[in-house]
Amino acid sequence: MSQQPVMPSSQKHTTRARRKRFSWSDVLSFALLTVAAILVAMPLLWMFSTSLQPMSEGYRLPPKWLPTDFRIENYAYPFQSNVPFGQLFVNNVKITLSVTIGQLFLCSLAGFAFARLRFPLREPLFILLLASLMIPIQVTVIPIFFIMRKFGLIDTHWAIILPSLVNAFGVFLMRQFFKALPQDLFDAATVDGASYARTFLQIALPLARAPLATLTVLTFNATWNSFFLPIIFLSSWDKMTLTQGIAFLSGAIGPAGATGNPSIRMAAVTMALIPVLLVFLLAQRWIIQAFAQTGIKG
Amino acid sequence: MFKRLSPKQSEALAGYIFILPMYIGFLIFVLWPIIEAGRISLMDFDLLRRSEYTGLDNYTSLLQDVRLWTVYKNTIVFTFFAVTFNTSIGLVLAMMLNQRLPSLIRNFYRSIFFFPILVAHAFVAVIWQFLYQQDTGIINYYLGFLHVEPIPWLSNIQWAMAAVIIMDVWKNSGFAMLVFLAGLQNIPEHYYEAARIDGANERNIFFRITMPLLSPTIFFILVIFTIGAFQVFDSIIVLTNGGPGDATRSIVLYIYEVAFKIFNMGYASALAMTLFAIILVLTVMQFIASRRWVHYE
Repeated sequence: MSQQPVMPSSQKHTTRARRKRFSWSDVLSFALLTVAAILVAMPLLWMFSTSLQPMSEGYRLPPKWLPTDFRIENYAYPFQSNVPFGQLFVNNVKITLSVTIGQLFLCSLAGFAFARLRFPLREPLFILLLASLMIPIQVTVIPIFFIMRKFGLIDTHWAIILPSLVNAFGVFLMRQFFKALPQDLFDAATVDGASYARTFLQIALPLARAPLATLTVLTFNATWNSFFLPIIFLSSWDKMTLTQGIAFLSGAIGPAGATGNPSIRMAAVTMALIPVLLVFLLAQRWIIQAFAQTGIKG
Repeated sequence: MFKRLSPKQSEALAGYIFILPMYIGFLIFVLWPIIEAGRISLMDFDLLRRSEYTGLDNYTSLLQDVRLWTVYKNTIVFTFFAVTFNTSIGLVLAMMLNQRLPSLIRNFYRSIFFFPILVAHAFVAVIWQFLYQQDTGIINYYLGFLHVEPIPWLSNIQWAMAAVIIMDVWKNSGFAMLVFLAGLQNIPEHYYEAARIDGANERNIFFRITMPLLSPTIFFILVIFTIGAFQVFDSIIVLTNGGPGDATRSIVLYIYEVAFKIFNMGYASALAMTLFAIILVLTVMQFIASRRWVHYE
């Protein structure tokens, strides 16, 4: 043992992992982490267990954390209500996929040009685009509303999809990646007489899996969960998104006589989380990286 | 009869074509609207009556709008507490996770703390509405074991803002945790080794190495959380709809209501300009500071 008393500090670094004995600070932080994890997990666990309880148990106290009387049929009820729940789901999928695929294409195209093609005013144009990062949608939404009204796009999904396609951060992300690629790669293509479109599609894009994955994750999540534009532009029940429908119509979700029941509402929320959960489980490591990266790159 | 372009010209042409789709979107949905918002803010403008320029009238009305002061006070209270708690809890969680832990356990906890990031604010608020119920919610039920009287979370002017803040911390501190953890893991191990060889104790190592090297990350988190908090909207409109009274009404909720409930677009645009000014200042601050900070890299 070292001669100095071990500081009861919470600081460490990985070298300490080589020391053999656990210190009290390790035990303490493990205990605190466990408490924090339980607190963080509880709302979602409550959601899930409530979604499986009989409808009469929704307000039961103490809550039953592990249901004994499973009611899978709760998950069918949202589809049997006046609220077109299945349609809300389809709308979300449609909007999210359109925005995600559109952004991947537009951001990589523009990012490639800003990184690898020389043209007059390239840098000023890029900086102007980046400046849009400091313009919040809440400020621009009123003029955007007039545009949509003029073109008759109010209460259509275009009103959500079109403004969401503009993502200066996505262009920035792709540009940084393409800038870091070695010039030789592109020289070879030029010698072979490849057009710029071919260079982009066949050389640059296939290499860009990592930034494209990052962008996919961020855009998918942001669009799936978006709320501000939908509540401004969509008003018919069958055009609404899941966030909007669940937040504002949840009192009407469920079969006649049981509308707004907590078990049914929680079943609806759980289903709305499934796509996000799936993406999370499939690509957990990438997703965490993507979010951490936006933090560092910002 | 096209003239053959020189290689330089054709490269430039390709460049413009490649950026064109994104740039058209940018011009239509960002650049023109921000200028137009400034113009509308100088007008008496609604959807029904004809619009007319009224100079700075909307801006002088701002000064006399008592509700504006209320909503900004609410927004600043929310921002202060949400940013403080999110940042400090995120930092503590990250430091504990960076502790000696089997990597399986670390990843498991990290995933749990991370997961709320993926859940829409709107869904979070739908769930928490039940948790916050005075008589039937599980929060008051468990607080009862600590001999806390049932708290009227959503119906009381004093408590409603606390409810909004607690929910926000649940949702967002995981993001701070994630960024801090990445920041901590970026600090080169040999700094710590050198310090230990020199006989530095853990406290010195924390204040002389970890904190200075993490400070750009902390600053970054403070700024982006502040910008985000000033725009708080989704969670409030679903959880409390700004109530009770105006107790939790935020600036964005107020802009939304003036613009899309009473359709006073001119005044709403002037309100939006105040928010724009604040966010502009914060962003520029972040930009200047991040350039100055030598600790990057």
